[in-house]
Amino acid sequence: MQPTDYELLAGMLSGDEEAFTALYRRRQGPVYRFALQMTGNVVIAEDVTQEVFMALLSKTARYDPARGSLASFLYGVARNLVLRRIEKTAEIEDYAGPEDILDDLTRRETMENVRRAVLSLPPVYREAVVLCDLQDTSYEEAALALDCPIGTVRSRLNRGRSMLAQKLAVRSSV
Amino acid sequence: MKELLKALADSDRKKEAPPEVETRLTAAFREKYKRRVWPYFAAAAAGMALFFVRVPKPQTMEITIVTPPVPALPVAKRAIRPKPRPPQEIVTEFYPLMEDPPPFERGELLRVSLPAAAMRSVGVPVSEDRLTETVQADVLVGQEGLARAIRFVNTKEIK
Repeated sequence: MQPTDYELLAGMLSGDEEAFTALYRRRQGPVYRFALQMTGNVVIAEDVTQEVFMALLSKTARYDPARGSLASFLYGVARNLVLRRIEKTAEIEDYAGPEDILDDLTRRETMENVRRAVLSLPPVYREAVVLCDLQDTSYEEAALALDCPIGTVRSRLNRGRSMLAQKLAVRSSV
Repeated sequence: MKELLKALADSDRKKEAPPEVETRLTAAFREKYKRRVWPYFAAAAAGMALFFVRVPKPQTMEITIVTPPVPALPVAKRAIRPKPRPPQEIVTEFYPLMEDPPPFERGELLRVSLPAAAMRSVGVPVSEDRLTETVQADVLVGQEGLARAIRFVNTKEIK
């Protein structure tokens, strides 16, 4: 039987390198994809993934299994790091800005356009769409990661989808 | 739109952090646990040895016990009473005070008196009505002058 995340975490805390490696390999993919889908930048996604697990190494005491899964906790840490990067990194905002989308209207409706449309959402809606629609995270887990009630996740998700539909509709009509 | 989002999710599903990230994290893990275990173990072992076994100082570790001088008690001449035994000390384990200390090279063990509330700060339970009582503690101060670890001392007279 596979050890649980918490068992691996406990092993990691006691200095078991195999437990750390197993936990990293199990959880790095979702963290990396979340960061990538939030920023559209592979370098930032790589940095965020590394920082999340460094934080786990040094601040694991803050993880409370009674509050939710380790996956949600990791999304929460990644989210804070991503939002900090988004605030600092002007090129992400430029990349995701409405002008760029208009510039791209002549392109075909490809995955890249959808990705750009997602990236153009304000972060507060983007993170709900990324977690619930792209990462297949449950509303409960998303609420824990985003540190807000489930109802807020639902409303942000609806609003985000609606904005996304408008952006994609504009694209396809041009 | 749902189909488009699903297609995007599917196209990203196999994306992962590059192997260099795992390599860097593994190196950080090894460094952290190599550094974390050794100084506390060494400090605790050295402190215990100096207090109870009085072994010679190890060459690689220079620990000095600094305790306030105890005034000599007047001894009654021709006293019939048996000599009082030295006080017996019961000590706790060492509790780390630094999260990520530099490698331990040498240090001093300082005997100090603290309010019992200090025990709470390292996770030792203390009842509310005893928080203002004074307790004795040994503070391990590293070569850089920072307090690295602390243990609490209970001194009992043996009659």
